[in-house]
Formats: sequence, C-alpha cells, structure tokens
Amino acid sequence: MSLRALVSNRSFLVFLFGGLFVLPAFANQYTLFVGNLMMLYIILALGLNILVGFAGQLAFANAAIYGIGAYGTALLQVHLGWSFWFAAPVGAVLAMVIGTLLAFPALRLSGIFLALATLAFAQATQWVLLHWQPVTFGAGGFRVPPPDFGWIPIKQDYGIYFLSWGVTVVLLLFAWRIMRSRIGRAFVAVRDGEIAAQSLGIDLLTYKAMAFALSSFYAGAAGALYASLLGFISPETFDLFQMIIHKAMIVVGGLGSVIGSVLGASLLVYLMEVLREFKSTQEIVFGALLVGFMVFQPNGLVVFLKRWLPGWEEPVHLAGPEGKDSARSAGKDAAPGEQPAAERA
Amino acid sequence: MLMFSYLMATGITTGAFYALVALGIVIVYKSTEVVNLAHGELFMVGGMLAYTCYVMFGIPYLPSLLLAVAGAFVVGIITERVAYRSVLKHGLASVLVATIGVSFILKGIARHIWGGKGDYLTFPPIVSPEPLQFGNIMIMSQQLVVLLAAIVVMVGLGIFFKRTRAGKWMQATASNPKAATLCGLRIDRIYMYTFGVGAAVAGAAGVLMSPLTLLYPDVGFVLFIKGMAAAVLGGLTSIPGAVLGGLLLGLAEQLAAGYLHSSIQDVVAFLIIMLALIFLPTGLLGPRGLRKI
Repeated sequence: MSLRALVSNRSFLVFLFGGLFVLPAFANQYTLFVGNLMMLYIILALGLNILVGFAGQLAFANAAIYGIGAYGTALLQVHLGWSFWFAAPVGAVLAMVIGTLLAFPALRLSGIFLALATLAFAQATQWVLLHWQPVTFGAGGFRVPPPDFGWIPIKQDYGIYFLSWGVTVVLLLFAWRIMRSRIGRAFVAVRDGEIAAQSLGIDLLTYKAMAFALSSFYAGAAGALYASLLGFISPETFDLFQMIIHKAMIVVGGLGSVIGSVLGASLLVYLMEVLREFKSTQEIVFGALLVGFMVFQPNGLVVFLKRWLPGWEEPVHLAGPEGKDSARSAGKDAAPGEQPAAERA
Repeated sequence: MLMFSYLMATGITTGAFYALVALGIVIVYKSTEVVNLAHGELFMVGGMLAYTCYVMFGIPYLPSLLLAVAGAFVVGIITERVAYRSVLKHGLASVLVATIGVSFILKGIARHIWGGKGDYLTFPPIVSPEPLQFGNIMIMSQQLVVLLAAIVVMVGLGIFFKRTRAGKWMQATASNPKAATLCGLRIDRIYMYTFGVGAAVAGAAGVLMSPLTLLYPDVGFVLFIKGMAAAVLGGLTSIPGAVLGGLLLGLAEQLAAGYLHSSIQDVVAFLIIMLALIFLPTGLLGPRGLRKI
C-alpha cells in the first residue's frame, strides 16, 4: 500500500471505524460510552451537513429534531409498551415527517429568515417537551427501558454499541453515495443559486423537502439511539447549545463535505468530553470555534487536508468566497423598492 | 373586567420592554441586514454589569446604569469587529453563525464570572416594591419605571436619529451605503457604531428589566426571542413598527396567559415569529409591496 493511499480519506474512514469496531475489546465502560456518543454525533453532523452544507438551508432545528426522534422512540416504549425494535424506526420516521414539514417555510424564506423561523420552531419544540407533562413528563425527564437484546447472545452495552456502529456505517455510506449522485449535485445547485437550479429543471420543493427529510431522518435516528444509549432523556439535552455543538462540528470539519462531518464530529466529541465538567468553558470554546472558523477558514479543516495530503480525494462542494447572500451590496445600490434581479423572481 | 384591565396594564408594560429589546435588533438590522443573534446576551451583559456596579461595588444607581450601557456599547463594537466585519466577505449566513458563536462566548464568560453565586442574581428594585393602585388596577411600581424609561429611550432614539449628525449618518448608510460612501461617510465605522448603539439599547433594557426578570446567564436568549417576535411583527426595518410589535406581543402574551393557560404565555412569541415570517413577511409597518425575504 503506497503512502498516498495510506493518507487518503478512505483509509481515514477505515481506520476510524475499524478502531471503533475493536474498541469494546479493550475499553472500559466510559470509553465505550464516548465511542458510542462519537458515532451518534457523526450521524447528527452528517445529517446537518446535508441540509446546511450541501443544500445551503441555514436551519437551526437539528437539535429539536434529534429530540423528537429520541422522545418519539422513548415515549412509544413507555406509553404503548412497544419494543425498541419497532419504536426506534417509527421514532426516526416521525422526526423525518416533522422535519420535512419545515421545508414548506423554507420554500418562502431564505437565509436569516429561515434561521429565525427554525430557531422559533426549536424553541417551540422545547416548550412542548417541557409543558406537555402527561405525555413527555416535563422538565425532569424520564427513564427509558433498555432495548431487548435477548435474541442475540450479547451483553447490553455491547449490543447498543454495535447497533450504533452498524447504523452509523450504513448512514455514512448512504450519505457518501447520495451526495455524489444526482440528488447531491442538485442540493449543491440549489445552494449556489435557486434560480439557476430551477432553470436546470431542479424542482425546488422536491429537493428542499428531500434535504430536510434526509437531514431529519439522520437526526431522528441518532435520537432513537441516544434514548436507549443513556436510558434517560430530558428536554434540556436538546436545547440551543446542542444545536451549537452540531453546528460547530460541521463548521470545524467542513461544510459540504461528508468526511468533514465525520472529522469534525469525532474531534469535537473528544473536546466535549474533556470539558464535560465545565459548562461555561464548553460554551466559550464552542462559541470561539464557530467564530474562529467563520473568520479564518469558513470551509473547515478539509481544506487543509486537501491541500496537504495528496491522497485526500473528495469532491468537496465548498461554498465560493462569496456566499450566496452576497447580493447584499448589490441590493443596497438599487433604488428603494427595487430588489436585485436575483431576488426579485 | 377587572382582570381584563389588569392584563392590559401588565401587557402594556411588558410590551414596552419587549419594544426596547426589539428596537436594538431593528437598529442593527436596518443598516447592516444582519440580525445580531448575540443581542440577548448583550442585554444580559448590561444587566450583569449594572449588578456588579450597583450591588457589588455600591456605586449609585444612575452612574451604574451609565457604566453598564457604556460596557454594553463596547461589547457591541467588539461583536461588530469580530463577527461582522471579518466574516461579511463569506456571506450573511456566515455572519449569523458567527454572531451565535459570540452569544455563546458571552454566555460562557458570564457563567464563569457571575454564574457561581446561586445562579439567579436578584437585582434590588430601584423604587419601593409596593404595588401602586390606579382606580382598581394594581401595577408594580418597577413596571411603571420600566415603562417610563422605555418611553425615554424611544424618544431619545427618535431625537438621536432626527437631530444628531451621528444619527443622520446611520440613516444615510442604512438607506444607501454606496451613496453614503460617495458623500464621504466612513461606512465601516458607522456599521461599528450601529452595532454599538444597538448593544447600548440592549444594555439599557437589561439594567431596567433586571429587577423584574432576575439575572442569570441564560436570560438573554429568552428575551431575544421575544424581542425578535416584536421586531418581525413590526417589519424588522421600522422603528415605530418595533414599538407597535412589542406592545402587541406584550398584550397577546398577557391575554393568552389570562384567558387560556399561563404556560401558553411563553409560546406566543414563537408562534408570532413563525406565522409572521410566513404569512406577513413585511410585518405590520414594514416596507410595502416588496418581498425582502
């Protein structure tokens, strides 16, 4: 194996997931938990990157969708007595359906306004989780029954770990393939110019809905796994700070890059665990990462990897130096009441 | 009827306060087309600074207020430097992400400095805590102070924009940056002061409101959402719109809490943001006939 192949993105993924696969052999329970958490965040970052990085929809609802997936799965088990194996897919699909509905405001809103609307949606979800007490048990949270691994001879901890591993690998490969297909390219086209995309025959409603659906299915799946990993969920896990963590992951890794999501998620989960005791330091560090990367390298670490590692081949769909909202100065030049051509249609 | 008049009175006073938060958002949005997502944290920083001066160092109230407003102004300018000027070249969406990063940095710093002391800081009321009786309506006197102060700040801002040179520069920059540059205005600097003024308004609101809301590092975001709802309802670019939006939001919240259920109060703001953005994108007093979203 040549050096070039050794330092490629593929071998990075092979090493990472190979390492995660053999981790249970020599890890204690805490390390196992962190490894599991890392895989969940990889799923979350992949989902958010599909929506924000590829399709260019600046939404702030990922943490809320994650929460809907987790609550959906857990509540179906608690209230209806469903088994985990039925509840988890249904919870993920529920998250996907609710997330897809967000595509309808996204058709009319863009940029800042979509961000505000989804922020309000996320807060409203928090409110429902907190106040719909007969169903969601309110602010205190509740215990989730552990999934039943009785039908395979495996210990509980390892069961959920390998389940997460399998789901993560499948979802990663799926994202990898689909982002290189017509669908992924259509997302990038929508991000770079809606009018141009439409004129190429890309139906905005279909593709925006698809981006929201994919992204929220990923978040919902991660939520379903999270509920049974921890065995306990409460609304504050899915607050705005959670959203910032997801956002920081894709910004650090690389917007519009599948591997970037994996990279950012694995690095930041580690950072998060180091700082677990200090909420204020966590907030400062994650905030500073967001600001720092936005100022100095808005396309994330993959840019450096692509530059310095010759074997790193990924068709990264970076945003240009001018973001899509840079029509701003053009808009200001126009007479009052007149919008630049790109926004008028 | 008694309940209705009570709700109206409370609605107007809280509404005046939301209007104050919304004003800061509108001032910044009008000239830079960016919603500063750290606005709520600037509010919190204002309150915290006033608490430090007034309660911890025993400085009299009025100097404390001025110091807190000045502090918020400085933090606002730093925000502009860090999260707006150096990020703008990557697009407005990046600016938005950067400002939310700043909001978490401020929140973390506040938790570091002021968070350890029981987490909820109580700011002593400036006037006697006894409620006042008007006819048969009871009003907390602190609410009246907030109402009066909000009116003072709004009138002050009106005078600032109409009469002073700095205010006119800001308006010129907001309506046409290129023409403003041609007239010799340094618009970079004006953007900076705009962020500063927006932050100062947030800081003033923070000081005035802290006896009623208590102070804790997370207070900012809740109030940012309410201010945002008021601003969106008013059209985001209109200062009278922000005032009107704030009052309507305050009334809607109180009426919902009084006649439906007290927990509904918190969700009104989210609903207003979502519905107003989708169905009334230019707001009540925003620009007519053009779609800016």
